[in-house]
Amino acid sequence: MQTINLTIDGKSVTAQSGQTILQIATDNGIAIPNLCYDPRLKSYGACGLCTVEVEGSSKLLRSCATLATDGMVIHTDSPRNRQSRKVALELLMSDHEGDCLGPCTLNCPAGTDCQGYLKQIALGNDYQAVKIIKDKLPLPASIGRICPHPCETACRRKLVEEPISIAHLKYFAADRVLASDNPYKPEVMPASGKKVAIVGGGPGGLTAAYFLGSKGHAVTIYDAMPRMGGMLRYGIPEYRLPKKILDAEITEIADLGVVMHNNVNVGKDISFMELKAENDAVLVAIGAWKSSKIGCPGEELQGVMGGIDFLREVALGERPTIGDNVAVVGGGNTAMDACRTAVRLGAKRVYIIYRRTQAESPADDIEIEEAKEEGVIFRFLTNPAEIIGENGKVKEINLQIMQLGEPDASGRRSPIPVEGKFETLPMDTVIAAIGQKINIDGFEDLQQNRWGNICADEKTFRTSLDSVFAVGDATNNGADIAITAIGEAHKAAGVIDTYLHGIEIPYKKPYVSEKEVTPEMFVDRQKQTRIKMPTRPAEERNKDFNEVNCGLIEEQARKEAARCLECGCHDYADCKLIDYANCYDLDVARLKGEKHPSFIEDSLVSIERDQGKCILCNLCVRVCDEVAEKSILGLVDKGFDTVIKAEFNNPATITYCKDCQKCAEACPTGALKVVSPKTLLRS
Amino acid sequence: MRIVVGMGSCGIAAGAKDVYQAICAIKKTDDDFTVGVTGCIGMCFLEPIVDIYDDKKNLLHRMGNVRVKDVALIVQALRENNPDRLAPLCITPENADFLKKQTRIALQHCGVIDPTDINDYLASDGYQALQKVLKSMMPEEVIEEIKISGLAGRGGAGFPTWFKWDAARKAPSNTKYMICNADEGDPGAYMDRAVIEGDPHSLIEGMLIAAYAIGAQDAMVYVRAEYPLAIIVLEDAIKQALDKGFLGQNILGSGFSCNIRIKAGAGAFVCGEETAMLESLEGKRGMPRLKPPFPAEYGYNGKPSNINNVETFANIAWIINNGGKKFAALGTEGSKGTKVFALTGKIKRGGLVEVPMGMTLREIIFDIGGGIRKDKEFKAVQIGGPSGGCLPASLLDTTIDYKALNATGAIMGSGGMVVMDSSTCMVNMAKFFLDFTAKESCGKCTHCRLGTKRMLEILSRITEGKGKEGDIELLEELSYAIKDGSLCGLGQSAPNPVLTTLNYFRDEYEAHIVDKECPAKECTELLVYAILADKCTGCTLCARKCPTGAIHGEAKKLHTIDQDACIKCGQCVDLCRFAAISIEGGSRHADN
Repeated sequence: MQTINLTIDGKSVTAQSGQTILQIATDNGIAIPNLCYDPRLKSYGACGLCTVEVEGSSKLLRSCATLATDGMVIHTDSPRNRQSRKVALELLMSDHEGDCLGPCTLNCPAGTDCQGYLKQIALGNDYQAVKIIKDKLPLPASIGRICPHPCETACRRKLVEEPISIAHLKYFAADRVLASDNPYKPEVMPASGKKVAIVGGGPGGLTAAYFLGSKGHAVTIYDAMPRMGGMLRYGIPEYRLPKKILDAEITEIADLGVVMHNNVNVGKDISFMELKAENDAVLVAIGAWKSSKIGCPGEELQGVMGGIDFLREVALGERPTIGDNVAVVGGGNTAMDACRTAVRLGAKRVYIIYRRTQAESPADDIEIEEAKEEGVIFRFLTNPAEIIGENGKVKEINLQIMQLGEPDASGRRSPIPVEGKFETLPMDTVIAAIGQKINIDGFEDLQQNRWGNICADEKTFRTSLDSVFAVGDATNNGADIAITAIGEAHKAAGVIDTYLHGIEIPYKKPYVSEKEVTPEMFVDRQKQTRIKMPTRPAEERNKDFNEVNCGLIEEQARKEAARCLECGCHDYADCKLIDYANCYDLDVARLKGEKHPSFIEDSLVSIERDQGKCILCNLCVRVCDEVAEKSILGLVDKGFDTVIKAEFNNPATITYCKDCQKCAEACPTGALKVVSPKTLLRS
Repeated sequence: MRIVVGMGSCGIAAGAKDVYQAICAIKKTDDDFTVGVTGCIGMCFLEPIVDIYDDKKNLLHRMGNVRVKDVALIVQALRENNPDRLAPLCITPENADFLKKQTRIALQHCGVIDPTDINDYLASDGYQALQKVLKSMMPEEVIEEIKISGLAGRGGAGFPTWFKWDAARKAPSNTKYMICNADEGDPGAYMDRAVIEGDPHSLIEGMLIAAYAIGAQDAMVYVRAEYPLAIIVLEDAIKQALDKGFLGQNILGSGFSCNIRIKAGAGAFVCGEETAMLESLEGKRGMPRLKPPFPAEYGYNGKPSNINNVETFANIAWIINNGGKKFAALGTEGSKGTKVFALTGKIKRGGLVEVPMGMTLREIIFDIGGGIRKDKEFKAVQIGGPSGGCLPASLLDTTIDYKALNATGAIMGSGGMVVMDSSTCMVNMAKFFLDFTAKESCGKCTHCRLGTKRMLEILSRITEGKGKEGDIELLEELSYAIKDGSLCGLGQSAPNPVLTTLNYFRDEYEAHIVDKECPAKECTELLVYAILADKCTGCTLCARKCPTGAIHGEAKKLHTIDQDACIKCGQCVDLCRFAAISIEGGSRHADN
C-alpha cells in the first residue's frame, strides 16, 4: 500500500495504490455511472458506462477495472465519455422491452401513480393510497368524482375485459381518509420567506397553492368569486360533486397556511402590476369563464344564455327561469351538466342539440347515458339555424338537419348540412354549451396568442412578464379538463419553487420505456367484471341536486383495485438504467430494431425474471457465483442472442436455488422481481 | 523416384485422397518408386497436386489438377522411367512462378516434407534449433535472439514476441504455461491450418524453445475443432516427438521438461482473443477478461502464461538456426521477416503465400496471384478478416508493413486477403463481415453486443433499398462508439470493414440509400430485370419457365416482366438465348 495522488475532474485526491479509479472517485463524491459494478464482486467491465478518459491514454478506460496510479489525470464526464455512455444507453434502451410506468399514469395529464394507489387500496391502505395520489393531485375526492379519467381510457385491463374503475376508486379512498380521524397532511417545509400570489382559486390555483405551500412559501390565492373552487364549484353541478366534499379538500389546503381571498377582482380591486410588485412570483390561473357564441341569428334574444353562465347561476343559489322547453346546444360534458341541471330545475322537455352523432360526442358515455335516463331528448345531427323570438324572447328554434361527411384532419367525420332540411321546435330557453373563452380583463399586460389565451412556456410556465407564470384553461390551447390544469399547476409549482431558490429548472418530461402489447398477451388472464358505480334511480335523482352516485362498497372496491395488471415496473423508483437514461439526451428511436421480447420465467424459487428487461450486466450470475456461491445461473448463446439462463442451460441446476434472493437485490433494473405472497393478490 | 501427393485439407477437398488411393492400388511391390504424402504447398488453385522427386529429393515434376484417370499414366511413366510423358499434366511455368516471388520461412517445409513422419522433419534439420537452445543457450539468450530478429506476433496485433516472452519469464512463479493460439477463425484464412497439417513439428519445436525461454513446463495448443485433420496430424506428431525424446521429461538430457497437449475449441470466434481463450482453456465460457493484468502476469489458472500464434512459433526454429539478424534482414524498418497470407476471392491463383514484409499488395495480387479472374477489373482487397479493412485500387501500392497497413484503416491481421472485382458490392461485403462479428460477439459488452446488431440491421436495410438519410452518419457514430466501448479486439475492430468501405466506397452506400441502386448489381432486392425490345424474339421460353409467372407476352411478340411478381431469381437471364434480358442495379434505370 502506497499513497498516490491523482486528479479527477480537476479535483486533487489522495488514494491508496491498488484502488480502482471508480473506488477512488466514489470515495471522493464523484459519481461515475455504472450498471455492472458491485464492490463485492470481481470487476467485469461489460456495461461500458463507467469508462473515463485518462490523460496520456488514447483509449477510454473502464474505471471499475483500472487501477489508479500516481499522477493520473482523469476526466469522468468529458464529451467523449458522455457520447460513449449515451450510445451505450441508447443501445440498452433499444433492446429494453418493458413498461417503466403503466399506461394509466402515462395518460394522466397529472401523471398520478394509479398503479401505486390501486395497489394500496387493494391492500386496504387507504391512507397510503391518498398519500400517493396527493403527491400529484391534492383534490382526489373532488376529481375522482368528475374526472373524464384518461387513465381508464388507457388502462390495459381493457384488453382482458374492461378498464379498472380508477376514478371511482380514487374518491372511494379519498372520502374514507377525509372522514377518518387521521386525514392525510403533507409535510410542510420551514418557511422560505418567499411570497407567491396565485390569481384564481380553481383546480390549477389550488393545486399550485398546495405544492408551493408545502414547500414553505407564503401563498395567497385571490379569487373573484365568493368562494374557492373555480369551475369545480361554479361549473360542476352539485349532483356530480357535492360542495361539502370540495369544501373539505379546500380546507385541507388552507390548513397548510395558504391565505385565500375571495371576491377580489384583480384588475379592479387590486392591480395586477401591484400584485406582481408585492410578490416574489405570481401564478395566473384565471380559467376560461366566457361562453362561446353559437353564431346564429336570434342569439341576442332573452332566454339565450351560455352554458357555464347558467351553471354558475345555479351554483350561486339562483333559480333562473327557463320555462318548459330547453335546448342545450353542444355535445360535451358542460352540455350534459346543463341539460341535467335544466331537468332538475323542472323543465318538461330538455333537448341536446348536437351537430354530430353520439359517437363523436366528447362527453363521457356515462354522462350521456344518465342524461337519457333522466329524460333528456338527444337530437343528434341537428344544428341551430336560427333562434326565433317573440317580443324579444325566445319562442322557437329552427334546426338545420345535418349529416356526417368525410373525416377531417382530426379523424372525426365533419357534419355537413342536408340541403333544405330543417325542423322547428317550440323553445323557451336556449343554452349554448359549445365552448369557453378567457376573459383577459385586468391581465392585458400578458402576451396573448391568436386565440386570446395567455402565452405560457410549456417547460417553465413563464409568461411574457418576469416572475409571472400561468397555467390552466387561460393559457395556450385554452380550456381543457380539470386534471390538465392540475398537472400543469403541479409542474409549474416545481418550476416556481426552483425559481424562488434562484435556479429555475424547467420541467422535463421523463424518458420512459414503453412496451408494445397485443391482446394475445392477455388471453390467459381470468376475466373479472368491472365494478359498476351504484346510482340513485333516475326518477328520484332528476328531481333534486343530491349526489347521483351512491359510492362503492368497500369489499367491492378492494376487489376492483386488485384487478390491476400492474403494468408499470416494480423497480421504477430504484432503476439505475432509467435514472441514467434520463441524464443523457437519448434518441432511442434511431436505433429501433429487433428486441428481446418480454418473457417471464418463474423457475427460481421466489423470483420472476423478465427477459425483456435484462441488460446482461451479469450481476445476478456473478452474485450467485461469487456471493451466494451457488453458480445456478449462466450465460447461454452468443451475440445478440446471449441470454441468462440456468447454468449450461440445464434447468436441473435451478433446484439448488436456496431462495437467498441476492440476485434480485443485485439487479440494476426490474428484470428480477421477488414475488411475495402480497403480489400474488393480482390475478 | 518418389510420388508425393499433397494431402492437406485443400488437396483432400479437391480429390487428393482418391488420387493417392488409386496410386497405391496399382502400385506393385516391385515398382521402383515409392509413394508419399505431404501438406499444402500453397497452390490451392491447382489441387490435387502430385509431385515427382528423384532419389536425391530433387523435384522433377509438379502436376496440378490431377484426376484419378491420370493415375495410370503417371504410374506407367515412372515404370518406364520416362517422366517426360508427364509433361501434359505438369503445371505451366506461369503457375510455377507462384512460388518464385515468395520467401518461405514459416512455410519452408509445407508441401515438401511428410508431416506424418518425424524422420522427414529430422532430415530437414528438424529439432536442430531445440538442441542448440538446450545445449548452448540460456533462456535470456533465446529471448535476445528473438529480439534481434524483430519477430512480431503473427496473430494480428503484431506485438513484439520477445517482449511477451520476457514479461512471462520475469513474472514470479514456479508454474508457467506456453500456449499456442490455433483458433484460426477469420473467414478465408487458413495459414495456421496449413502449418499444423503440413509441418507440425516446426510448431512443436517453436513452442518448446519458447517454453524453455520463459520457464514453462506445460504447453497447450488451442485448435478449433473445425480442423479435424490438423488435430489428428498434431496428435500424431506429439506422440512421435515424445518417442524420440524431444518432448516430455528431461528433454535430450538437458534437464528441461515440457509436455504439450491439445485443446479443441468449441467454435466460438472470440476464443481467438487471448484472454477469452484462457477462459475457455479453464473450462469456462469464452469471454474476454479485463486487461491488465496481462496473461504474462495472470494467465491460465492465474499463472504467468504466454500465448503466440501458430505462424509465430513456426518462425522460431528458423531464427535460432539462422540467427535473428538474418531474419531481421528481411522486411521493412518496422516489420521484420515474412508474412503468410491466404489469398482468396476473385483471384486467378488463390492459395497460401509467404512474402517478405515490404512487398506491395499489387505484387502479391498481380505478380503472385496472377490478377483478377476472367481479367475483370480489380475493385478491392479485404485484409485482416472481419477485423480488417477493405482497400481500393488506389492503395494497391501499400506495403506489407504493420504501420503502413494500419494507416489505411485496415490491419495486418492474421493473414486473410480476400480479393474482390467489380461484381462485389461493398455494402454487402461490409454486411457479410459485420454479420459474422455480430454473431460471434460473446455478448458481454453493451457496445459490441447491441452495437454490431444495430449496425447489421442498418446495413441490411441499406442493401434492401430501405436505407434512410442519416444512415451513413449513424453507422459512423456507432462504429466509433463500438471501438471506444468494447473490451476486446473483436469489438474494437468489428466496425473496421464498415469504416473502410465508407471511407473508400462511400458513393456505393449513397447509391443504395439515395438512388436505391446497387452499382455492383449484387443486392437482389434492388435489381430490376427488364426485357430488351430490340432483342426479344417472343420465343416464350422465359415466360414458360418463370417460377412466379412474372413474365407475360404472346408468341413472337415482345415480352414484359411484372416487377411486383418478379423475385429476381435470374433464371430468365440464364435461359434467354438472345441476351434479351437486362439486369439493372436499381429502379432509376428501369424508369429511363
